[in-house]
Amino acid sequence: MTRVRLENITKVYGSVVAVDRVTLEIESGELFTLLGPSGCGKTTTLRIIAGFEVPEEGKIYFDDEDVTFLKPYKRNTAMVFQNYALWPHMTVFDNIAYGLRIKKLPAEEIRRRVKWALELVKLEGLENRYPLQLSGGQQQRVALARALVVEPRVLLLDEPLSNLDAKLRIEMREEIKKLQRKLGITTVYVTHDQLEAMSISDRIAVMNKGKVLQYGPPRQVYFHPTSLFVADFLGRSNILYGKAGRQHDGYIDVYIPDLDATLTGVPVREITSRDVAVVIRPEIARLVEKYETVENKLVGRIDLAMFLGDKVELRVNVGKSSLIIYMSNLYEPTLDSEITFYLPKDSLIVLPVEKPLNIK
Amino acid sequence: MQERLFGVKDAFVAGAIVAFFYLLFTQELGYLTGYAEVVWWLAAILWATVLFKKGFDYHRIMNSFGLSFLVIIGFIFVFFDLALKFEGIPRAIALFLIPLMIVAILGYIHDKIMTVRELRRRRKIKVPINKRVRTTLYKLDPIMIVFIVVGFSILITFLLVPVFMMLFNSFVVPPGEPFYYNFVYIFNNPPYVKHMLLPGEASWYAIIPSGNTSLIIFKGINYGIVVNSLINSTIVTTVATFLGILVAFVLARYDFPGKAVFRVLAMVPLFITPFVNAYVVRILFGPQGPISMLTQSLFGYQIEIKDLAGIAMAQIMAFYPIVYLNAFSSFISIDPSMEEQAENLGSKGAKLFFTVTLPLALPGIIAGSILVFIFSLEDLGAPIVFQYPWVMSYQIYSSFTSETGIVSPQIAALGFIMLFIAVLAFLAVRSFVSMRSYAMISRGGRWKPRVRKLGWKGLLFVYLVMLPLIIFTAMPQIGVILLAFNIIPPYGFKIQLDKATAKYFIGIFTNPTYFQYIRNTLTYAAMAVVLATIISIIIAYSVSRTRIRVITPIMDTLATIPLAIPGLVIALGYFYFFSTFFRGTPLDPTSVTTFQAWIVLVIAYTIRKLPFVVRSVYAGFQQVHEALEEASLNLGASRTKTIFRIVLPMITTYIISGIIVGFIYITTEVSTSITIGGLNPAQAPMTFIMKNIYYGGTVYGVQYVASMGVLLILFQLIAVLIITVVLKQRYAFIGV
Repeated sequence: MTRVRLENITKVYGSVVAVDRVTLEIESGELFTLLGPSGCGKTTTLRIIAGFEVPEEGKIYFDDEDVTFLKPYKRNTAMVFQNYALWPHMTVFDNIAYGLRIKKLPAEEIRRRVKWALELVKLEGLENRYPLQLSGGQQQRVALARALVVEPRVLLLDEPLSNLDAKLRIEMREEIKKLQRKLGITTVYVTHDQLEAMSISDRIAVMNKGKVLQYGPPRQVYFHPTSLFVADFLGRSNILYGKAGRQHDGYIDVYIPDLDATLTGVPVREITSRDVAVVIRPEIARLVEKYETVENKLVGRIDLAMFLGDKVELRVNVGKSSLIIYMSNLYEPTLDSEITFYLPKDSLIVLPVEKPLNIK
Repeated sequence: MQERLFGVKDAFVAGAIVAFFYLLFTQELGYLTGYAEVVWWLAAILWATVLFKKGFDYHRIMNSFGLSFLVIIGFIFVFFDLALKFEGIPRAIALFLIPLMIVAILGYIHDKIMTVRELRRRRKIKVPINKRVRTTLYKLDPIMIVFIVVGFSILITFLLVPVFMMLFNSFVVPPGEPFYYNFVYIFNNPPYVKHMLLPGEASWYAIIPSGNTSLIIFKGINYGIVVNSLINSTIVTTVATFLGILVAFVLARYDFPGKAVFRVLAMVPLFITPFVNAYVVRILFGPQGPISMLTQSLFGYQIEIKDLAGIAMAQIMAFYPIVYLNAFSSFISIDPSMEEQAENLGSKGAKLFFTVTLPLALPGIIAGSILVFIFSLEDLGAPIVFQYPWVMSYQIYSSFTSETGIVSPQIAALGFIMLFIAVLAFLAVRSFVSMRSYAMISRGGRWKPRVRKLGWKGLLFVYLVMLPLIIFTAMPQIGVILLAFNIIPPYGFKIQLDKATAKYFIGIFTNPTYFQYIRNTLTYAAMAVVLATIISIIIAYSVSRTRIRVITPIMDTLATIPLAIPGLVIALGYFYFFSTFFRGTPLDPTSVTTFQAWIVLVIAYTIRKLPFVVRSVYAGFQQVHEALEEASLNLGASRTKTIFRIVLPMITTYIISGIIVGFIYITTEVSTSITIGGLNPAQAPMTFIMKNIYYGGTVYGVQYVASMGVLLILFQLIAVLIITVVLKQRYAFIGV
């Protein structure tokens, strides 16, 4: 069991700051995900943990050992690469045994452990195949076995599922989750897919432009985003800008000029300026009769309706803005008809507008 | 209103006007002659500067291959026009080009300054130098440092130092003269540059009546050593380019019966048979040759091609396939949708070819042409066989054969000029070839090249013009085989099937006089190729896996530049290098009796042919994704273990094809073999004896040496087969 600690890590390529003062603590045995759009520095962070890159500033610790300048081949991390990086000139057995042979373990021990690893990833009987004879999913499993067999201190996964098709991806992500739980190995997982991240992680760190914006358990990050970027990147959101009004009992009133209405929501962070934004998750909208008095009641006109199987996605024009909301799949919308709904104030997130309103 | 940008046309107009007034006032009316002529240059430069200041659209030049090529050629032309003091029309052409060149330079400098500024502006984050060094060092494992140090030491010691020694010697001048004396001497003295021709020299042909017939001799005009070389290479390049484009286009775009035969025949001239093929060309165009016999029976004239004209003919036949191959691969790599789009918009025929097809293929074609220019400039085979000494390559060569053991500084200056042109041209090639991706734009998967049937006019053209042409250019190689088996006699031309014999071919193995040269060549080639392979792995790995500023790019350039350095420059450089640093040892070329030529030859071969091996090995390293190495490091293997257990096993086919290609180019090497090798004939390689036989003008031994040519062809044939059939790779013909 190894705890990984990143302290104020900064990595610069030429004139680009790839990783900007990142501080993270990854608990031993947890599955920790670095999530962010491409170019946000998540892979670089992973490569710094693996030792392929060295930071200009900051330190990395495995437990209490400073490994910042330790060569990659002395760290005992094991990485699963995005393209698997299986050696095409070696059989599945040789690929998996490689790390053990480098450690000069006895042949018998190697055979035993490779067998164990193959069983773990359910690839018994394919020892003598070459990687090119395997399907994408099988190659993925070999790469995983090769990493697990050396009993690494930390398992590093770099977008491991991005080369698989959609169905297989879901299957593999469940398997990775189960394996990780079973072996209790400290794991750092990199992905740009927010669903993947939320579904398998113990904790998520959302990164953008080299910075970690927020980290915590998936639920916490989803329900309580502390920045507009995180709100927008995790799940879908309608973001409306407005002026902060009265604060009362942990709620805040926000006047939205585009709706010509005042919405009440929960401020996730301390609101200090007048400029705020309201984050509306599409799934919080509830239908309501027009005459009822409820909080945050809105009346709009259905502009577009898409049946998605498990739900119906509506684009509704309210005032000058257009909102996306989800309804149950039983709901049968009529285009151009009026729709009245409300947004429960406990689910409405209010955030301060930091810098220019320039999301993504 | 959009602001009007000044375009290329304005630069040409400026050039034309200045050139016109120069011709009118200076040439016709005699004003502003001598140093006052500088007025015209200033006018052209000033005009261009004004155009640029007013907003000249110089990116037009940068983005057009034709125009940027013109600018590069322009520099060489202007340089020699001034150096050789050619006035009149050549100077007018120079003046005409000046405005275009000036705006191009200004634009280039302007762009550079802008990018530097932009970089400065963006680079707000300052990483202290010690941290940058720390990062770089962290990524270098010990073996990589060893690789870089060893690779650099070898390239500096055996490439840079010798070449600089030659450069240095070209500035060794008689006491009291300025440092550039040798160049002034070369550019002003008759053997090198002739400004006045004697009445008998001014014609490029001669008619000699003999009996009831007459002999027409095409020979070219001797304008002096330097000018001859330049004119010859220009003509050879131009003709080879036209021929290459023509053949490539027909073979790439049209389908007709027998096309496969055409394609094989078109490759034949690529088989290198030093000296022997030029010898066959000499027979072909000799007074008793088949061409002469043909004209005799048709028109009643005999013809002979000799001297400069002969050299040009032999070189065109030998070098045009280089353009052909480049052009062919350029044509088939053009996305058909590009041409289809043009046709869709109503373009066809010649218009389509000149507006879409040719511009897209041009980078590849120009790369081929420039290589032809370099090869023609440094070629020794044709001048030696035609025994025509008034070209630069021959002069450098003959300085080695003078018994004094001292190479004069003027020869070094000739080497300098050759190097200057070749390196300039090579750097141009590199920028063109790297832009080659242009031709492959929108590469959406593999497409079927556009191929269509030929109409009857086309068929007539192919069978009546192209077939004879291609067979004709394949004649030297065919002739070598005929000579080797004594099917044609060593002199004159007559098919004598009854006298066919394999005794000469067997003789080169059984007769010790000839076999020793074969043995030497094979031994040296084996040693050199082993060295070259090791060095290539060291260099290619360093270049492909480290990204150290300045160091990595320099290493990359140094490893490929021997391709452009004329072999004679290496020979001169090695002569100076070994006679200076190894004076009195067995490696000293001037110690006539004890000189161990073989050691110097093996080193020279290794360095000269390094680019071919490096290129293949480097391609291998590029195939190995870096993640494959990182996966190994990650699992606990050190860098050294990773290289030996993961990387090298994965690129064995590339290493083998590098070895094969290197071997082929080493066995056919001429320049250092006959110069350095000639300093100790007992240790000389095959190409040395080949030269000796054709140089001596003796009939004896011609068949033996032709047999050696056949042996070389066999080597190359086997190499092509192994690489393409067994290893399933492309055979790296010169420049492709």
